[in-house]
Amino acid sequence: MAILSKEEAQAILKKALSFSKADECEITLNGNVGGNIRYARNEVSTSGSEENVSMAVESRFGKRSGVATINEFDDKSLEKVIRRSEEIARLAPESPEYIELLGPQKYIVTKEHFDSTAKVDPAYRAEAAAKSIKAAADKGLTAAGFLEHYTNFTAKMNNKGLFAYHPSTSVDFSVTMRTDDGTGSGYVTQDYSDISKLDTGKASQIAADKAANSRNAKALEPGKYTVILEPAASIDLLQNMFFNMDQRAAEEGRSFLSKAGGKTKVGEKLIDERITVYSDPNNLEVPSSPFAGDGRPQQKVTWIDKGVVKNLYNTRYWASNKGAVSVPPPGNVIMEGGNESIEDMIKNTKRGILVTRLWYIRAVDPQTLLYTGLTRDGTFYIENGKVMYPVKNFRFNESPVIMLNNLESLGKPQRISGSLIPPMKIRDFTFTSLSDAV
Amino acid sequence: MLPFTFVRLQYRSGNWDTDPRMPSNLLHSLIQYTTVPVNEQEKVVSLESAELFKYPFSYLSGHKLVQFNQKERQNFETYVKNGGFVFVDDCNHDVDGLFARSFEEQMRQIFGANALKKLPNNHKLYKSFFTFEEGPPTTSFELNGWGDDLVHDYLKAIEVNGRIAVLYSNKDYGCEWDYDFRNKRWLAEDNTKFGVNIIMYALTS
Repeated sequence: MAILSKEEAQAILKKALSFSKADECEITLNGNVGGNIRYARNEVSTSGSEENVSMAVESRFGKRSGVATINEFDDKSLEKVIRRSEEIARLAPESPEYIELLGPQKYIVTKEHFDSTAKVDPAYRAEAAAKSIKAAADKGLTAAGFLEHYTNFTAKMNNKGLFAYHPSTSVDFSVTMRTDDGTGSGYVTQDYSDISKLDTGKASQIAADKAANSRNAKALEPGKYTVILEPAASIDLLQNMFFNMDQRAAEEGRSFLSKAGGKTKVGEKLIDERITVYSDPNNLEVPSSPFAGDGRPQQKVTWIDKGVVKNLYNTRYWASNKGAVSVPPPGNVIMEGGNESIEDMIKNTKRGILVTRLWYIRAVDPQTLLYTGLTRDGTFYIENGKVMYPVKNFRFNESPVIMLNNLESLGKPQRISGSLIPPMKIRDFTFTSLSDAV
Repeated sequence: MLPFTFVRLQYRSGNWDTDPRMPSNLLHSLIQYTTVPVNEQEKVVSLESAELFKYPFSYLSGHKLVQFNQKERQNFETYVKNGGFVFVDDCNHDVDGLFARSFEEQMRQIFGANALKKLPNNHKLYKSFFTFEEGPPTTSFELNGWGDDLVHDYLKAIEVNGRIAVLYSNKDYGCEWDYDFRNKRWLAEDNTKFGVNIIMYALTS
């Protein structure tokens, strides 16, 4: 039941819509089948699977709207959820930001569903964890990791003629490893749509090497350093930037893209001209849904072109209110890079710091996108092209905008958190203090 | 009026050549906010050289030992007593670091045990151009993890004839202001404004 085919989903949605008496009605079905395995202290602690399908109904009378959800799909239940949403809609105040539901749309087809991932069973999960634990145990390390995979579908239909259906799969894997004396730590994270690209043993080797090499870190003085940020280190800062490219926030003065008087920085060169960022639901490495949550079709959109801000996303209300082109928020982010490997970058560094991961990131100033957080799980000092020794972790204070203006070089993009991000060498990255965290 | 020159003092012990981009950020602020004419390049002047006496403002910083030789010590004392202004900034941002301990010892030897005094946060320095009601602005390098974990909420100074002659900071403003000038536009509040106060105070008091 959990994964409905296009035809099955369409049949349920049609049936449910047939009960609607509202002016407008839109129904979304989401289903998933998933499994996970968690291990710590080199032993599996939990493993399980889950499946669910849920339906959300939005009914509208004029500018009043109500939403109700259910996860039973017999005729009686379908009618019940429709009535409930209608009842709520009648009680709701009118929305000052009402906008009519979308009519029929044309969607591209994107390949985000892989049978390899859909077929994963408990034996696969056990084997995946075993490979990772072996990589740790072989080096006398302790691993704590998590693997989670899903097969999903989303379907949407409304009484204006819109119908959308998209199946997808995903797997997320991460592991942290510690040395037995507790002074070294390493980390790796990988995610794919196609699980056949994941090798937990090979990935875990990266975490194991980092942990083993990061024993007995030395303290370096805080200050401004050249850093090599692995994609797992830069992704959160970059996503905080990309996912803040909302047109309304910019025009209302709440964002790093705001200018006085409701103007925005669209068309301005914001960062280094080697930076180009776009989203493309059809990208083979990071495929994503062909439609946004509100049903708008997704297509390739360039957000930053050679350092210049090109597009902001918006809601349908804001686009229509401002007479702007309607642009949904992206499903993935692809940042162009270069061909250098991290090893090449290290070779070309006279003095710098290799950062595996940034975490515990918190906003300091939303208008300049200043963030603070800590390095973790493998921070190393580089001198004359070689990794010399592990260093104690730092607190950083940095803005992705400033960071992308201090670009030295870009590596080959890698998939991380559903996006493609290159390793980056950045000068003057601000480390403000030391941390005792390992 | 001669243009203002940012003079960096070179001394033989320790390391004097810190935070190379800091002066250009301060000079940029002087141009931006004031009508003071400026020399666009900082000037490095040896503390042993009499050239120092041509300039009313100088800057001394470092991480390491400060131990003046006889000529350096003599020039420092003469410069300060004749109306010169020295802004001293500890790059260790550490009240117990080597720079702090050795520089303070130099001041004791030259000016006596109690010469360096806490500067009250309502001092004229904090109103000499921009107003800093709370005293010296904090820097991001103060909670540095080296064990002192102190926000130094005041500066110290040696006053001569009622004016600051040596302004002494453990706050590491040099590092705070040492960035590529193009990044200054991304700061919510220009953090070099206090530097403008220091220079304006030095030039007008």
